[in-house]
Amino acid sequence: MKFIIQRDTLISSVQDVMKAVSPRTAIPILTGIKLVAKQHGITLTGSDSDISIESYIPAESDGIVYVEDIEEGSIVLQARYFPDIIRKLPEKTVEIHVDDQLKVTIRSGNAEYNLNGLDAEEYPQLPQVNTDDSFDMPIDLLKGMIKQTVFAVSTMETRPILTGVNISLENGELHFTATDSHRLASRKLPISSTSLSFSNIVVPGKSLNELNKILNDNEETVEISVTNNQILFRTKHLNFLSRLLDGTYPETSRLIPEQSKTTIKAHTKNLIHTIDRASLLAREESGNIVRLATKGGELLEITSNSPEIGQVTEDLNVHAIDGEELKISFNSKYMLDALRAIDAEDVRIEFTGAMRPFIIRPENGEAILQLILPVRTY
Amino acid sequence: MQNKLTPSKRRIIFHIDMNCFYASVEMAYNPSLKGKPLAIAGNPEERKGIIVTSSYEARAKGVKTTMTVWQARKLCPELIIMRPNFNRYRAASREIFKMLAEITPFIQPVSIDEGYMDVTDVIQDATAIQIAQKLQQDILNQLDLPCSIGIAPNKFLAKMASDMQKPLGLTILRKRDIQRKLWPLQVEEMYGVGEKTAQKLHTIQVETIGDLANKDVYTLKQLLGINGERLQNRANGIDLRPVDPEAIHEFKSIGSSQTLPRDTTDEIEIRQLMHLLTENVERRMKRKKAAGKSVQLMIRYHDRQTITRSKKLQTYIDTKEEILLIANDLWQTHWNGEPIRLLGITVQEVEEKALIGKQLDIFTYENEAKKEGLYSTIQSLSEKYGKNPFQSFQQEQDTDQPHTSFQKDFLDDYKK
Amino acid sequence: MKTWSDVSEVQPLASKILMNSIRKGRISHAYLLQGERGTGKEAIALLLAKGLFCTNKSDVEPCGVCNMCRRIESRNHPDVHWLEPDGQSIKIEQIKNLQKEFTYSGLESNRKVYIIKAADTLTLNAANRILKFLEEPSKQTTAIMLTENSQSIISTIRSRCQVIDLQPLNPTSFKRQLMDAGLQQQDAVLMSALTNNVDDAIAWSTDAWFAEGRKLVVQLVEMFVHKPEDVFLFIHQHWIPHFKERSQQEQGLDLLLLAFKDILYAHLGSGEDTAMLHMPAEQLNQLVMFYSQQKLITILHELLQAKRNLKQNVHATLVMEQLTLQIQR
Repeated sequence: MKFIIQRDTLISSVQDVMKAVSPRTAIPILTGIKLVAKQHGITLTGSDSDISIESYIPAESDGIVYVEDIEEGSIVLQARYFPDIIRKLPEKTVEIHVDDQLKVTIRSGNAEYNLNGLDAEEYPQLPQVNTDDSFDMPIDLLKGMIKQTVFAVSTMETRPILTGVNISLENGELHFTATDSHRLASRKLPISSTSLSFSNIVVPGKSLNELNKILNDNEETVEISVTNNQILFRTKHLNFLSRLLDGTYPETSRLIPEQSKTTIKAHTKNLIHTIDRASLLAREESGNIVRLATKGGELLEITSNSPEIGQVTEDLNVHAIDGEELKISFNSKYMLDALRAIDAEDVRIEFTGAMRPFIIRPENGEAILQLILPVRTY
Repeated sequence: MQNKLTPSKRRIIFHIDMNCFYASVEMAYNPSLKGKPLAIAGNPEERKGIIVTSSYEARAKGVKTTMTVWQARKLCPELIIMRPNFNRYRAASREIFKMLAEITPFIQPVSIDEGYMDVTDVIQDATAIQIAQKLQQDILNQLDLPCSIGIAPNKFLAKMASDMQKPLGLTILRKRDIQRKLWPLQVEEMYGVGEKTAQKLHTIQVETIGDLANKDVYTLKQLLGINGERLQNRANGIDLRPVDPEAIHEFKSIGSSQTLPRDTTDEIEIRQLMHLLTENVERRMKRKKAAGKSVQLMIRYHDRQTITRSKKLQTYIDTKEEILLIANDLWQTHWNGEPIRLLGITVQEVEEKALIGKQLDIFTYENEAKKEGLYSTIQSLSEKYGKNPFQSFQQEQDTDQPHTSFQKDFLDDYKK
Repeated sequence: MKTWSDVSEVQPLASKILMNSIRKGRISHAYLLQGERGTGKEAIALLLAKGLFCTNKSDVEPCGVCNMCRRIESRNHPDVHWLEPDGQSIKIEQIKNLQKEFTYSGLESNRKVYIIKAADTLTLNAANRILKFLEEPSKQTTAIMLTENSQSIISTIRSRCQVIDLQPLNPTSFKRQLMDAGLQQQDAVLMSALTNNVDDAIAWSTDAWFAEGRKLVVQLVEMFVHKPEDVFLFIHQHWIPHFKERSQQEQGLDLLLLAFKDILYAHLGSGEDTAMLHMPAEQLNQLVMFYSQQKLITILHELLQAKRNLKQNVHATLVMEQLTLQIQR
C-alpha cells in the first residue's frame, strides 16, 4: 500500500476518527486507526466498538487533488502515535508506505518514521449499508431533534434501555423519544421523501451526544440508515455508526395525558428566569424542589427554600391560567431542561393534578413535547 | 452532652460571625480575588441573576445582597461575579467549628457562618479577650477567613456585639455598656426584631432599643404577645438561654420514652404504652411539621440492660399508625420476653416536610396519584390551620432565632 | 488443542456431548466448563466460539483460518467478549463493562459470545448480575463460563448452565507430552506435579527464577536438619526476597510441599518418582532419618495451612515465619 496525501486533509480526517478511539478498550485492534487505500480515495476508521467513525478523503474532488500515487491496500496504525506524528511533520504532503511485513514508513520532507502496523484483517467489519434503506434529512433538524431529547435519557443502569433515545419512522414521521422515567422528551418531524419504516431503534444517548458534536453545521443533509444492530449517519465525507441498545423500549405514548385540568400559557424566557432564580436556593441533594402555585388571575407564585441559606418567593405574570387551582412541586432542573429544549417564544403547560405528569409544549405546535413527573411533597 | 452551667452564674459567651463568608471563602480559595470587588450570584451570566453576598470592596461601591447582577454591574463595572459553591462553604464551615470545638465543647452552631460558644469554664489560663484574639487569628491564619467576635455575658448581647465591628472585630458588650452602646440603636437593628415587628413597635412610639427597654411591659405584651416581654428583656441585656450544643439536633430525631410503674411482661400494658409514646411522637412531629425515615425502639429491661433497635424506611412517615406499625414490628422481633422497665420510641432522620419530596416515576406514579384526593384534603386542612410551611418559615424569621432551622446536620460535622 | 478431534483425545466425553449439540444445532445459551488447570477449558471455549462465527466450517470443525476464526483466536473479534480476573479477582469495573455490553447490540451482527474465565472468582454480586442476564437469554447470545473450582460457583448459576465436566488429565500421558517437548524426565515429573498446562511447564523448566527457587527449597529442607539456627535468617535473606509476588509465594509453598512429599514417599518406599529432591541416596537418607513419618504429616498439614493463610492475605513474611516455627517444633 502506498499513497501521498495532503497533510492538512489527513490531519482533519484523523481528528474526526480519533473521536471514536478510546485508549481503554478490551479489543486490542481498536487501539488503532484503520487506513484503507483505494484508487478513488482513502478511508480512515476509528472505533471504540460503541461508535465507529469513518472519514473518507477522495483522491480528487472539484478538481483539487488530495491523494496521489495510490497503491491499494490497508493497514491499522497505532492511534497513540500516528496523529502526533502527522501533526508534527514538516511538509505539506505526507507519503505513507506499507510493505508486506506490515512495516509502515511515513515520510514528509526529510522526516521519516518507521512504525509497525497491525493487520487490517483483524479490524472489525462494520456493516455495509444499502442506500435503498435510508432517508435524508437536513443536518440542523437532526441536531435540533437530538438536543431536544437526549438530555432526558437515563444515566442509571437500572433500566439500560432508557439510556437511549427511541427512534421510529412511521407513516412518514420521524419520532425521537427519551425518558429517564422522571421526565420524558419527545420530538416529531415529518419526513416526506421516504416510504421507509422502522421502530424500536434505541440509540445510546452517549452516541447521539457524540454525533451532535461531530456533525458539521455547514453541511446540508445527512443520510440515515438502520440495520438490525447499527444505525448509520452518513454525510458527504463522514460515516458515523453507533451500536443500538438491545431490548424493547417501553410504550410511552399511552403515558402522555390527553386531558388537562389546569393550563398555563407563559412567556418561555420569563418562566425560565423565574425558575432559575428559585432553583438557586433549592437543594440538589433533595431534588432541587421548586413549588409552583396558581394565585388567581394571571399570577403564578414560584417558591423554593433551603434552611441553610434562606427562601425565595417570586410572583410571575403569565399570559393565561385556565382551569382548576394548582399547587405542584417539581425538580427545577427537569423544568429548566424542558423549557430550554422548547424553542418557542411562549409555552403551554398542561397539568392534570399535583401527583400526575404535566406536559409542556410550544404555545402553537405539537411537534415538541416535554413531560415532567412532579415531586410528591408532604 | 448537657450544659451544666446555671444561668445565675456569670457567664462569658462568644458569638462568632464570619465576615462576608461566601466571598471570603472564595478569596481564600483563590487569593488573586483578594482586595477586589467580588459578588456571589445565582446566575452570573444572566442580567437578572441575584447577588447572594459580596465582599466589602463590592459593598463599598454600593453592591447589596438581592440586587440583580445587572444593577450591581452598573454600580461597580469591575465587579467579579461568581456562582455559589456551597460545598466549599460547607467544608470551610466544618473547619471553623472544629477550631471552636478545640476550645470548648460548649458550642452551638447557628448557621453555616455563625455560632455561639460558652467559654466560662475555660478562662482560667487566659482572659476571654486573649482567647478570642487567638481564635480570630487562628481562623484567619489557618483558613484565611476573617470573622468578628462578640464577647458578652449572654447570647443576645454577644450577637449584638459581634455585629458592631466588622470585619475582624472584637467587641466586648458588658451589661454596664448597654445604655451607652445598645440603647441608642434603632430598634430595627436589634437581633430578633424583623421588619414587621419594627413597624408594630413604631406604632407605639418605640424607635430605639432604649425605647423598647423602657416601655411598659403590658403594652408590649398586648402588641407582640409573649415575644414583647422577651424582646424587652433582651433590650435590658437579659437573656438566659444556654449555649446548647444539642440545639442543632433538635429535629434530627423526635422521640418519647417512659418508665413503667413497675417491671412488666404484660403485653397489653406494653401495647398501651406504645400507643401513648407514638401519640407523643406524632404530636411533636406535627408541631414541627416534620417527617422521618427511620424508627428506633429502645427497651430497658428490669436489670437496666438497654437495647436500641431501629429500622430504616424507604419513605418518610409522620402518622401514629405508621410509626406504631414499625415500632411494633421492632418489638416483636427484638423483645426477649424479660420484664421491661422502660420503653422509648424515636423517629429518626427527621426532616422538615417542606424540604422533602418524592420524585414520582412515570411508570409507577398512578399508585401515588390514586391517593391524591387524600393528600389534597390534608393539605387544605393544614392550610386552614395555618400550617403552610412557607408562612411558617417567614414567621420564624421574626422570632428569636432567625436563621434557625433544623436542616443543619452538616453543622454537626465538626464533631467527626 | 486446535480442533475438536484434538480435544476428543483428551476429553472424549465432553467433546462428544458438545460436538453432538453443534451437529444438531442445539447450542445451549450458557455453558459451565469445569475442570482442573490444563484440562482444555479455554480450548473448548475457543472452539465453541469459532464454531458459532466461522464462515467455512466442515461438519463441526471451525476452519481456524478464516477471518472470524483468526480474530477470535487473537481476541480481536468485537463480539466475542472475554472476562478474566485482573489480578486476584474479576474487578467491579470489568463487571460494569460486561453489564453494559449485555445491553448493547453486537458490532458486526447480533451474535455474541461471552467467555468468563475463573468464574468462581466472581463476587456474589457480580454473579447475580450475570445471572440476571442468563435469565433472559437473547436468541443469539452464548455465555461460556470456565472454572477450576466448581464448588465455588453459586448454585443458581450452575442451574442455568449446561454443565460440562472435564476429566482430570492422565499424569503419565502428560509427562510423556512434556518429554516429547524436550523436557528432562526429572523436570517432567516435577512439572506434571505442579501443572496440567504444557505451555506453563515448558516455560518454567527454562526459567532462571524458577530454577533458583527450586534450589532454595532444597536448601531450606536441608537446613532444618543441619543448621536449624540459620533457618530464620535464610527465610529473611533469601526466601522472602526471591518469592516476591503472591503467585511466586504460592509456588514456593507448592515446591516445599513436593519436597516434603518426596521424603514421605522415601519413608514409604512407594516407588513414586522423585519430584524435588534429586540427590544421592545417602543425602536423602539423612533427611528420612531426621523427619519422622508423623512429623512429615504434621508438616504437610502446616504447609496446607500456610497456603490457606496466604490466600487470606496474611503477610507472606509472617506466613513463612510461622511455618518454619511449626516445622522446627
